[in-house]
Amino acid sequence: MNEKDQYKNRIELLQGTLDMLILQTLQWGPQHGYGIVQALRLQSGDVLQVETGSLYPALHRLERQSWVQSEWKQSESKQKARYYRITAKGKKQLASDLGRWERIVEAIGSVMYVKPEESES
Amino acid sequence: MKWFPSFGFQRRKRELQEEIDAHLQMAIADRVARGEAEETARQAAAREFGNILLVQDVTRQMWGGGWFEPLGRDVLYALRQLRKSPGFAITATAMLAVAICANSTVFSWIDGTMLRPIPGARDTDDLVSLQRGERNFSPTPPFSYLDYRDLREQNHTFAGILAYHHDWITLTGGALPERAYIANVSANYFDVLGIKPVLGRFFLPEEESRPVPNVVLGYSLWKTRYAADPAIVGKSIEIARHPVTVIGVAPEGVVGAMPGIREDLWVTLDPLRTDVWRMTHRSGGAVWLNVIGRLRPGVSRGQAAQDLDTVMHNIVAAFPDDHLGDNRITLDPMWRSPFGANGYMAATLPILLAFAAVVLLLTSANVATLTLVRFVSRRRELAIRQSLGANRIQLVRQMVLEGVVLSIVAGAVALVLTSWTSKTFAWFFPANSNPLILNGSMDHKVVIGIAVSSLLAGMLCGALPAWRSAHAPAIEVLKAESASISGGSRNRKLLSGLVVAQIALSLPLLVCSGLFLRTLRNLAGANPGFEQDHILTASVGLNIAGYSHDEEQVIRHKILDRVSALPGVKVASLTDWIPMTLGHKGDDAYPEGYVPHPHESLQVYHAEVAPRYFESLHIPILEGREFTPDDDEKAPRVLIVDQTAARRYWPGQDPLGKKLRIWGGLFTVVGVARNSTHIFVNESPEPIVYMSFFQVGYETIVQVKTEGNPVDLAPAVENAIHEIDTRLPVFDVRPMRESTQMASSFAVVQSALAGMFALIGLVLAVTGIYGVVAYRTQMRTHEIGVRMALGASRVDVLRLVLLQGLWLTGIGMALGLAFALGLTRFIARLLYGIGANDPVTVVSVVMLLGAMSLLACYFPAHRAMRRNPVTAIREL
Repeated sequence: MNEKDQYKNRIELLQGTLDMLILQTLQWGPQHGYGIVQALRLQSGDVLQVETGSLYPALHRLERQSWVQSEWKQSESKQKARYYRITAKGKKQLASDLGRWERIVEAIGSVMYVKPEESES
Repeated sequence: MKWFPSFGFQRRKRELQEEIDAHLQMAIADRVARGEAEETARQAAAREFGNILLVQDVTRQMWGGGWFEPLGRDVLYALRQLRKSPGFAITATAMLAVAICANSTVFSWIDGTMLRPIPGARDTDDLVSLQRGERNFSPTPPFSYLDYRDLREQNHTFAGILAYHHDWITLTGGALPERAYIANVSANYFDVLGIKPVLGRFFLPEEESRPVPNVVLGYSLWKTRYAADPAIVGKSIEIARHPVTVIGVAPEGVVGAMPGIREDLWVTLDPLRTDVWRMTHRSGGAVWLNVIGRLRPGVSRGQAAQDLDTVMHNIVAAFPDDHLGDNRITLDPMWRSPFGANGYMAATLPILLAFAAVVLLLTSANVATLTLVRFVSRRRELAIRQSLGANRIQLVRQMVLEGVVLSIVAGAVALVLTSWTSKTFAWFFPANSNPLILNGSMDHKVVIGIAVSSLLAGMLCGALPAWRSAHAPAIEVLKAESASISGGSRNRKLLSGLVVAQIALSLPLLVCSGLFLRTLRNLAGANPGFEQDHILTASVGLNIAGYSHDEEQVIRHKILDRVSALPGVKVASLTDWIPMTLGHKGDDAYPEGYVPHPHESLQVYHAEVAPRYFESLHIPILEGREFTPDDDEKAPRVLIVDQTAARRYWPGQDPLGKKLRIWGGLFTVVGVARNSTHIFVNESPEPIVYMSFFQVGYETIVQVKTEGNPVDLAPAVENAIHEIDTRLPVFDVRPMRESTQMASSFAVVQSALAGMFALIGLVLAVTGIYGVVAYRTQMRTHEIGVRMALGASRVDVLRLVLLQGLWLTGIGMALGLAFALGLTRFIARLLYGIGANDPVTVVSVVMLLGAMSLLACYFPAHRAMRRNPVTAIREL
């Protein structure tokens, strides 16, 4: 497991956030693993680099929890690939993840933007 | 990965490979499309993807087997740890195996008797046994046929009610006559039990009271005597020289409806028209049937009893003269039915199981102590694992798993042991005249019991110490080289607690076993009221061999004459009952001029005895006379009563000349015999009446008082009987002392097991306290060295260590005493000649345990005292 540490030079995603991001990406339609990496990178303006070592375990975990389904299909470039599709259960999960995320952002925000004089008193 | 069980594994592995390949291909294609050279694109894509094998590995962990593989790894680790300390592993496994085996053995006995009251029957939970009149520990058959039939036909709460009566019979017609236990049964007997024949059919309703000579064979009788003849149905066999037709064979394992008793074959209630009187009367000798009912679904025992009481009330109102005394009906589930063995089992075995459970707790505490000490010595390993990232739950899981692995191995050993010990139950019952089939059974319930108790024990042994040890802060453990951290006050408290628990648990075991052992001694030393040494008894199967009544009488006289004339015989007599063999005969008796109390049972024990019976057993006749040869069938019926009967029926009056009505006949009292034991030494005295053998005797038992060892005379007595008629079946020839052992067999079971359990408890408690004191003293070597260097004398050191151990012992014994005083109340019923809180027993047990603990503490104390302070201080 220690080899995982070599992927340190990129932004580490908060636990659970990757699931949310994958589900969000799949909202736009079925996608394969490579496509998800590309989509996340593009949409985050090259900031988020999802590791394959995190992506594939996450995809398989999501499938186990029936939040996504997968099937083998031909891509536009005639490449056979495994496409993941979000399920109804997954959409529900996405909604709840999103709610949680918003609360965290808000909570962190309210900590970070406290006025200095208040925090000193 | 070999732990992964799924067949789909290879396919999923291949798919993952393809998925990753596709990923790479697409990445390369994108790069090539952006203008990179093929080879550079390939390398860049691979670099970007990272370690493919690692990605595969972490992805696979998501595949459901996720918990399985780490568990496998933990089990392997646990095994490796245990192999590193074989001493601990073997000791702990052996102790746990013995404790689990103690539980499973007793449970297998319960399983074989109380939980399987009627082998082969369907849904035995719905079956209840019916009892009429006063509740009694060893009742006689309570119903007449007519009463039974009325109950069966007029109730609203039973799906069916069966009746049976069983006795010995001789199977004739073959090469050798053979004695078998035969049951007269109601036609619905097998239906109510829910048993189907393997061959032929069972009885039809219209056959019940008509004389149809049909017989159903038991499976083993069919196998042994009739060579498993597949065409046996329709053939004629001979029972007591009467031809009867085989109509069916019962399935293997079916042995009848009375728990613990084996019936070999079954006929209807009056197959030969010899029981007409019994079939048409409601009292006297016609009360001969044991009755079992199957409750309708949804009906409770209470409702059913009420229903039957109403019916019985009407019967009593219609036939008051046949139903004097108490006629209330009580119902018992079969597991504690007073008919057969389960009444005794229910009084004994659950208590023994409770003892066994205490032993298991005790053992778990002991193994937990060992485990804790082991974990403390492994604290560095644990701390290292913790600092390498193992969280506390993982550590605890790992340690609990070690306990569970131990207990699973122990459970497996116990399983093997129990398959043997379950069969030892039969050893406790001496040869006797009943067809007893008591034994333990080893089925899935026992296996489940072993699994549950071993897992519980494993959790107890592992979880407590593990939880404690996992608390140790890693940094401190790694830093500190001093032993001071080792125990830690938390661990020390837990260790002390475990020792106190062991002593507190072993003390009640010792007290109970002490009480049982003294009960056994009291029983053996008790005077039963008759002389049983130098007495030989031999049963002669006259009544079951098919002789006419007149022939029987002639043979009986001949037997008496011939046996009396044998050299070495002091007195010979005849009887049809041997006291203290669990069996007895009972019937309703109506003493003239006696008004029974409401709900008083008028049932009395009775025995038919020939002249000189009382003389041979040394039972004094206090008033009147003994029977004489003149008290025969031509003479008026006479009776000898015991003191209890005399006092109950004619208080303050002279019983001689009083009359008693039994079986519709009037008997005159001619003598009063001193009280003697009927069934158990500790029974409450019940009235018994003795009748003259040559007037109403039924079974024939020759009773001989010998000059020397009664065993030596056995062949001569048998020969003498066979000289009269070689076809006379003679059986159960044995000294009376041997037969009467039956009366104390349950006391033997209790004291043997309680004694063994207590011994285990004592050993565990003493080794437990020794281990803990030794360990703690060793941990304090440094401190003791300092103390000695500062001037403490050796005696001071000795006192220090001893006091520490004795404190624990003291607390443990105080708790144990409270526990024991609470517990002994439950065994009070089983004791004889000793109080449940007998001070002598309690004091001796406390002294024994105290002395053993003192000894256990002395050795480590002595060792500490001998230490050289200089080396002690250096030691850390």
